[in-house]
Amino acid sequence: MFFVAPAMIVLAAILGFPIVDSILLALQRVQLTGGAVSQSWVGLENFQRLFADPVFWKAAINTAYFSVMEVILVTLISLGVALLLNHPMGKSGFFRILLIIPWAIAPVANAVLWKWILHANYGVLNGILKSLGIIDNYQVWLGSPFSALNFLLIVDVWKSVPFVALLMLAGLQRVPQSLYRAAYMDGAGPLQSFLHVTLPTMRGVLAIAVVLQTIWSLRVFDLVFVLTRGGPADATALLNFLAYRVTFNFLDLGYGSAIANVIFAVTFILAGLYVWLLWPRQTGASR
Amino acid sequence: MSFARLQHGGPVRQTVVLAGLAVFVVWSAGPVLWLVLSSLLQQKALIQQPPDLSPANFTLTNFTTVVGAAAALGRGIFNSLVVALFSTAVALALGAPAAYALARLPVPRANGIAFLILATQMLPGIAIAIPLFILISKLGLIDNVLSLGVVYLSFNLPIVIWILRGFFTSIPVGLEKAAAVDGVGIFATFWYIVLPISIPPLTAAAVFAFVEAWNEFFFALILTRQHAQTVPLVIAQFAGQYQTVFGQMMAAAVISVTPVIILAILFRNQIIRGFADGMMKG
Repeated sequence: MFFVAPAMIVLAAILGFPIVDSILLALQRVQLTGGAVSQSWVGLENFQRLFADPVFWKAAINTAYFSVMEVILVTLISLGVALLLNHPMGKSGFFRILLIIPWAIAPVANAVLWKWILHANYGVLNGILKSLGIIDNYQVWLGSPFSALNFLLIVDVWKSVPFVALLMLAGLQRVPQSLYRAAYMDGAGPLQSFLHVTLPTMRGVLAIAVVLQTIWSLRVFDLVFVLTRGGPADATALLNFLAYRVTFNFLDLGYGSAIANVIFAVTFILAGLYVWLLWPRQTGASR
Repeated sequence: MSFARLQHGGPVRQTVVLAGLAVFVVWSAGPVLWLVLSSLLQQKALIQQPPDLSPANFTLTNFTTVVGAAAALGRGIFNSLVVALFSTAVALALGAPAAYALARLPVPRANGIAFLILATQMLPGIAIAIPLFILISKLGLIDNVLSLGVVYLSFNLPIVIWILRGFFTSIPVGLEKAAAVDGVGIFATFWYIVLPISIPPLTAAAVFAFVEAWNEFFFALILTRQHAQTVPLVIAQFAGQYQTVFGQMMAAAVISVTPVIILAILFRNQIIRGFADGMMKG
């Protein structure tokens, strides 16, 4: 108890009040004037406003598209990368270093780098694509709604793959070799042993990766902030960014909290799913 | 087909793997390479189409200019260092005993507590940022390095506990039993027996926490103004102000990411094992 208590107290002190207060704030009109905070209770007004707000719905749809695509792409690419690095030819430490570098790069530095890569006049992407003959003229990649949202997606996938791939690689390395031998004895080919040995043993890891990645995809902020600030025409305004903008640019703290609560609720459900997936089921498996 | 053949695959599969690895190398290393190259090239070489990569255009002036001109960058690095070291140290000091107890000692509802701690890590930053902002404003602690460091404990403490708990569950019980037979108390067992064999996972947890704190942007944006700005904020501001001086922008980015990349490469094996254990063990 002496061991656990200090950590729990600190966590409770930092998080307990904000968690409760974030729900309470959503039921208030909170204004910041000259550094002073004034609060008054308004019941569910913020939520009524929320459901009638086209910008909120747009952000919700953007977020749904972004998260679903992000999770699908990250999961598939990470699985591919993990399989490659688990192959005897991919075992070199060099590849692992390549995987850990994008993970360690600060999201902001990553965003600044991609802003330069995607630059409309001098960006290297335009240069490469033009010299390959894929495009005729330089494109303003972040200038049109559809393209901006999808480039945001690509950059986020680039940054997110390494961590998930490492998680999956660890999972692959836990698949007992004896299972592959047994499958081989039974005459299974490479595809069959992937489908019947690798995938089933990896099911837990895959499920965890999908749930965690969904939660993380709802948090994307740095990229939006640096690359597009939600534009053009709110095409890249994800819920998380919208909540930030409403709160800290428009100083509408109560309404911002209401949006944050929506994210909170979705995340809470997903977190429950994650815990359910991880919860030790055999008695005495841990302690 | 031999078993080895099944694992390595025939010529077709080997070609596919090789091609896949090549794509992977270009995809991961390309952007990073361009980051480093741009930081070393003069402006006139960068805005040519295609960029002029002749050796004469390589220079370190981007770095010297950025370091010389931007006092903000130096202050940012210092602040990031303080925040990251503070939150890492406190997270380890509080997290290691907690992780040990949750893994090994008869704590009631140990699993429940462990998952509660994990669940806090799933909280969306924005939900807790608004109340924290109001609270910290009222306390007059906005733009304070230490208040940022304390807020960072909210994610670093759970990370540390989960990485270490994964490790502590896997160490053999024999050592502790032997210590108990010799009449060594829990505190002494933890301090003299468990901690010394836990240096690798402690390092992994420390590196992980340090990197997270060093890179954090969202809370820093909300809770600091000028005085306590950390590196990611300085970089973001740079990108806004000097967005046409590409080489300098990249030089600043390179400076900001180098320390954590070095840490990550040096400790990659511990980190990989550490987070795989922490994230996947119930």
